Amino acid sequence: MTKTLFTSNSSSLSDTKKIASEVVKYISPGSFVALKGNLGAGKTQLVKYISEQYGVYSVSSPTFAIVNEYNGTFKIYHFDFYRIKNENELIDLGWFDYINDENAIIFTEWADLFPALIPASCYNINIINDNPENRIITLEKIE
Amino acid sequence: MYILGIETSCDETSVAIIENNRVLVNLVSSQMFHKLYGGVVPELSSRAHLEQLFPLIRESLKTAGLQIEDIDIIAATAGPGLIGALMVGYNSGKTIAHSLGKQFFPVNHIEGHMFSGFIGRENISYPVLNLTVSGGHTILSVLNSPTSINILGSTLDDAAGEAFDKVAKLTGMGYPGGPAIQNYASKGNEGKISFPVASLKSKYDFSFSGLKTAVLRYIQANYKNGELPGEDEKSDIALAFQNSAINSLINPVKFALKNHKFRSLSLNGGVAANKKLRESFKNIAEKNSLELLIPDFEYCGDNAAMIAIRAKLLNDSGVKINYLKYEPFPSFRSEFLENNM
Repeated sequence: MTKTLFTSNSSSLSDTKKIASEVVKYISPGSFVALKGNLGAGKTQLVKYISEQYGVYSVSSPTFAIVNEYNGTFKIYHFDFYRIKNENELIDLGWFDYINDENAIIFTEWADLFPALIPASCYNINIINDNPENRIITLEKIE
Repeated sequence: MYILGIETSCDETSVAIIENNRVLVNLVSSQMFHKLYGGVVPELSSRAHLEQLFPLIRESLKTAGLQIEDIDIIAATAGPGLIGALMVGYNSGKTIAHSLGKQFFPVNHIEGHMFSGFIGRENISYPVLNLTVSGGHTILSVLNSPTSINILGSTLDDAAGEAFDKVAKLTGMGYPGGPAIQNYASKGNEGKISFPVASLKSKYDFSFSGLKTAVLRYIQANYKNGELPGEDEKSDIALAFQNSAINSLINPVKFALKNHKFRSLSLNGGVAANKKLRESFKNIAEKNSLELLIPDFEYCGDNAAMIAIRAKLLNDSGVKINYLKYEPFPSFRSEFLENNM
């Protein structure tokens, strides 16, 4: 079941920052957050602002590293599937250990590339940036 | 003295042997695909590293005309990187060293890049202003000595190499993005298009996310329904992007040169293969009378020769490491890395 928690418009970085503080009200350790949106949609930027709410100010893109780990108020794993070629690569790097870490919040960019690996219960953040002046950001809960 | 280096932090499996400053052999798995796999790109996995590592070690010894007993020091990447990948190279290297009673050095992957321009060179003049630019890292640092490194700044979002890859993808220029953009840019018309250069509060930091978005906006505004630019337009976009990316990289370098005294200037990492960036560094070095340290193309991407040279510099500095105390770690930092100046 998919439940839409909110939909907001962002036309600036400060709007995105406000949306990040809204997202934080819903998620907690053990949460899995899947981010969907095209190249340049602002997925990393949103994770950066959300992580700041947990005291982590050094988030950068995980595209090449595949996963970055941070220790803030909670442990944060920031994944990016962009460079992943098949599910085995993720399983090999310990995917199930990461997603079973109850003390961590997991953000995964390009999660829609490997839907079979996404936990049944999770949050989706969809970012639509078809209009250059405005991004539409939606938070959904999947159960 | 012979040093065997092993690098398995991410995609590449690499093994090298150096004799003092000279590289005897440097084998990198992706360059051996045809030989090992008949052209099929193996998956990114610890198993792939495991399958490739020992054939590469045997091949490197054969090429160098050495036996494993002839090696004096074994060095392997301890991080940063993917834990499963790191463990393969690190534990193999540590085990070989321990069983033969040789010294083992855990090496930081980024420090390997930072000192890769020292390959084949003697008597480096410190301090060195150093820019490391790769797919995953964009770091401006000061090398005071082999055992003292200050980080001045780094990327706030995307690494430079990632920006090259993603912009090449957005515009249909192909993969890998670095060579594709360089190639298109060489045919572009100067001044036809321009993209912004990030202006940041922290003058030593970098940002490439805004530049990526600027290219995206340009494509969205000029090409509808997923249409891609034609060949001539791609060249102009590539040139504009490359100019902006290079300016974003050299502005913090120029700012550092204004504020501190250096004797050498160094550039390394995968993006250091970009010819325009190399030229820019050459000009800056000449203008400021600095010794220029840029590795040959072969040592720009991930490679084991830089891991071996890093271990050599540490050993020459008298660093003693009780390697049994170290484990590979995804966010490994060495004791030689200090905080901001």
